[in-house]
Amino acid sequence: MRTAAELNYGESGIISEIDSSHPSSKRIIEHGFTPGQTIELINKSIFNDPIAVSVRGTLIAIRKSEAGCIKLK
Amino acid sequence: MRANVDLQVPLITLVGPPNSGKTTLFNTLSGKNYKTVNYPGSTVEYYTSRILSKYNIDAELLDSPGIVSLIPESPDEKVAVDSLYSHPKLGAPDLLLVTLDACQLSRHLLLPKQLIYAGFNVVVVLTMTDILAKRAQKVSENTLSEQLNCDVVTVNGRSKKGIENLIKIINSNLERLNQLDKKSIINYNLSENKKSSLEIFNEIEEILNNIYEPIKHDEKIDLASANNELKVFQNDILNNRPSPDEITLKIDRVLLHRFWGFLIFLIVMGITFTSIFWIAQPLMILVDKLFANLNSLVVNNFQPGWLTYLFSDGVISGTGSVLVFVPQIIILFLILGLLEDSGYLARGAMLIDKPLSKIGLNGRSFVPMISGYACAIPAIIAARTIPNRRERLLTIFIIPLMSCSARLPVYALLIAYLVPRDKTWIGGIILGGIYLFSLLTSVAVAFLINKFKKRIFNSEEFSSFIIELPTYRIPKLSSVINHTYNSSKQYILRAGPIILGFSLLLWFLTYFPNINPRVETNGLGVEQRENVERAGRLESSYASELGKFIQPIMIPIGMDWRIGVSLISAFAAREVFVSSLALTFKVTTEGDESQNTLLTSLKNARNEATGEKLFTFSTTVGLIIFFVFALQCLSTVAVSKKETGGWKIPLLQVFIFTSLAYIMTFMTVNGLRFFGIQ
Repeated sequence: MRTAAELNYGESGIISEIDSSHPSSKRIIEHGFTPGQTIELINKSIFNDPIAVSVRGTLIAIRKSEAGCIKLK
Repeated sequence: MRANVDLQVPLITLVGPPNSGKTTLFNTLSGKNYKTVNYPGSTVEYYTSRILSKYNIDAELLDSPGIVSLIPESPDEKVAVDSLYSHPKLGAPDLLLVTLDACQLSRHLLLPKQLIYAGFNVVVVLTMTDILAKRAQKVSENTLSEQLNCDVVTVNGRSKKGIENLIKIINSNLERLNQLDKKSIINYNLSENKKSSLEIFNEIEEILNNIYEPIKHDEKIDLASANNELKVFQNDILNNRPSPDEITLKIDRVLLHRFWGFLIFLIVMGITFTSIFWIAQPLMILVDKLFANLNSLVVNNFQPGWLTYLFSDGVISGTGSVLVFVPQIIILFLILGLLEDSGYLARGAMLIDKPLSKIGLNGRSFVPMISGYACAIPAIIAARTIPNRRERLLTIFIIPLMSCSARLPVYALLIAYLVPRDKTWIGGIILGGIYLFSLLTSVAVAFLINKFKKRIFNSEEFSSFIIELPTYRIPKLSSVINHTYNSSKQYILRAGPIILGFSLLLWFLTYFPNINPRVETNGLGVEQRENVERAGRLESSYASELGKFIQPIMIPIGMDWRIGVSLISAFAAREVFVSSLALTFKVTTEGDESQNTLLTSLKNARNEATGEKLFTFSTTVGLIIFFVFALQCLSTVAVSKKETGGWKIPLLQVFIFTSLAYIMTFMTVNGLRFFGIQ
């Protein structure tokens, strides 16, 4: 299954679930990453990590290791 | 109503996510008559104020730091959340005003939902509705109010439209609570247990489907939005999916560009740094001159004696050494404030996160670290925003290695000594080299300390970096100035007493016990006699005894007790090193010539133990190296103790950095000598 960490530039996807075993999962949900929401990859830093994604009309920078627990449909 | 609390009137607390217009509302309701209160046992500051009398509400208003949810992540957020449940001084709030950005309700509704579930009395204040109106949308207050089961008011922060309505609603809420004559019981853990964030978000999805309404043609504010309207209908409303600000996305295409983004970041930081130094420099000289003049004013107009000297050399010079850093701190916080308010700082943290994570730090360590180049004290306090304990402690650990402004006068003197007078540009290069060197050493130290993290920090939390990249906006100067004022005040209040106290102690050690030295004063003018007496007093003072005691460890690094004394005095504040050198090397000529004469007498100085020339190339470079590493700042130690919650980290810092300084100096001096460079 694809995760948000694997998105390409400008590509979007719909969240299917948040891996609840991940230590940051609660925080990720609080920032608005919930199942059914569309997220889009807006930018990457020069080191490819962290990435900036848009969710619920807001840009959020997140490390790839954490974006990995955002599963996409 | 409220037990064990002095407050006689209802307490209204302002809560809201970051960037939700909370502070603007606070300023509107309080005027400018607020006072700051520290949350006991922390450095987090709160603003409180009585609500302006024109609004006719007798209540205390408390502003709190922005939070995303009731489950805190960083120490800063924990304090904010704790104080919601019960502020130690003010008690639990009677009413919460929750500010929400109308454009970001999709995310911002989480907090009021959690607060309502936790049992708080909540009034929701919608802000930024004017921006929403530009997208030809509005929020139905009534529907939102029904759905949330609390009052909802729209307030425009700039035009103050809606304030009267808010006041009416606050009044009716307070009346209702008064009739109940009891507060709802608030259970600390309820918010977390009753509903998960995921469940709450599901409810928010429901709410969002009903509350947005298109603005009809006759309500529209201008023609430009007519064009937007069409787009909005197609994209936002039909998909029920808000999109990020278009202009922000365009700016980010440049500022967060994979290659250019990082380059621009480096340039922005470079400009920040240079301006800290170049703008602050004349101001610092001004402060310095002012206190030097005050000093001589006292000395010239009062009978010479210990009281006069206590006042001039102790109190006045001590105060001067506190205030001399204020210009730099003000400029640093002004620039950081502007960057923060514009929305760029969060992006800087994102760009630098990866390299910093390699050495056990975090993108959020970045602001504290650059603050460390002005002064370690506000920098260590700024580390509170780092959620992960290990990363926070590691950041605090290496901050003393950042080349703070107190080292600058020392470097300036020593470089001036090394560089020929007609080639001052070499000095600039050397100074740049020193800064680069200090940056590289801090990276190396962070890397090494991170290897022992389990033992030193005994904490193994998961490292996280999730940060909101706010919409770009023109910084609001008034709030930046306000923040700068408070940060500078914090520095003066925290570091001031310690630096002043040690200046006084140092004065005592250099003045007593031999207050009337027998010196040859025949044929000398009044001023010269004064100077010779001062030098004589110092030579037989407690400080010189201390210096002679440590002489054995100074010899291996090619120095003698006089430098030792100056190094010890530098623990009060690093720049004291220069004045102390001046004092010890019998240089007391006033005015512009002072640095030159100090340089000449340094040139002539001979090592009292070995008889060799004292300030050679090798010992001077050695001294610079010493200052790069040594933690000679007691205020830093005090703040580090407070912020890390124990003596372990500060003592380790003092021990590791000072012994590292000694070892590196030893290696430098003897290494250079080995290659025949004296």
